[in-house]
Amino acid sequence: MTEHDEEQDAVAAILASVPPPRVTPAFLARVNARIDADAGTGWLALADFRVWTLRLAPLAAALALIAVLWPTGGVEPSAPAVASAQQTFTPASAADWQQDVAANAMLEAALSGSAHAR
Amino acid sequence: MDPDRALVEAAAAGSREAFDDLVRRHQVAIVALTRALTSGAADAEDLAQEAFVRAWKSLRSFRGDSSFRTWLHRIAINVVRTAQTRHGRWTRMFTAAEPDADPPSPEEPLDAALARRQVIERALASLPEELRVAVALRDMQGLDYREIAAVLDVPIGTVESRIFRARRRLKPLLAPLLQTGPSVTGQER
Repeated sequence: MTEHDEEQDAVAAILASVPPPRVTPAFLARVNARIDADAGTGWLALADFRVWTLRLAPLAAALALIAVLWPTGGVEPSAPAVASAQQTFTPASAADWQQDVAANAMLEAALSGSAHAR
Repeated sequence: MDPDRALVEAAAAGSREAFDDLVRRHQVAIVALTRALTSGAADAEDLAQEAFVRAWKSLRSFRGDSSFRTWLHRIAINVVRTAQTRHGRWTRMFTAAEPDADPPSPEEPLDAALARRQVIERALASLPEELRVAVALRDMQGLDYREIAAVLDVPIGTVESRIFRARRRLKPLLAPLLQTGPSVTGQER
């Protein structure tokens, strides 16, 4: 046997001397648990809230955007609405005090009225 | 004749009991392989579990061209390669450094078996992947050259060359163990 062969055999013997590992007792149970988890693609997947959260996220974002952009009554009235309020408002009319006139419409009417007075 | 053939056929037909028997038969070898290929990384057993899960999923496509053991070893090697590619070199460097993270104090006696294993794991970690796999399959798993060639899908001559080059590279790194011999305690000689 050559020196090279002896060295090769010596290294092989050292590697072969590594004792077998101690496998945890739950190894088989964990394998089965992972197999079962991967197999849950049917109705079990529907119970996974993370799936629904991801799938509904675009819809939720769209609804939020609509809610922000949709005009409501509390928003500043458009020009035709202001003009309409001005036409019906006369400072001397007591009934006007009873009407539910938008604050902006009153201000507009007041300013236009004071301008005419000058 | 593959000694696992009957169990493999039953497991491929859906028998979890048969597959459990296959796992019990091969779990030690596969964990030993993943430990050798990851230099004793903490997730070696986790990678071995992944190999068995993949084997279960692919059982129906196992044609029996090779033995189940050969096929399972191939799966385990691919699992380790995928994990190492995913984590990148940084993780491998970090994992290799773990044994040094908590060095024993001078007052405590060093566990000779643990020290010996760490020397071997570090030496293996220094090898290129293809050499490490070949020498681990031969010297730590006990596979013959023909079987290793089937696992790696390379010619037998390539297997011989890789094992030779691996042992040559390991020799200086294992020199302290060569002087003390393959005993666990290292107190002989």
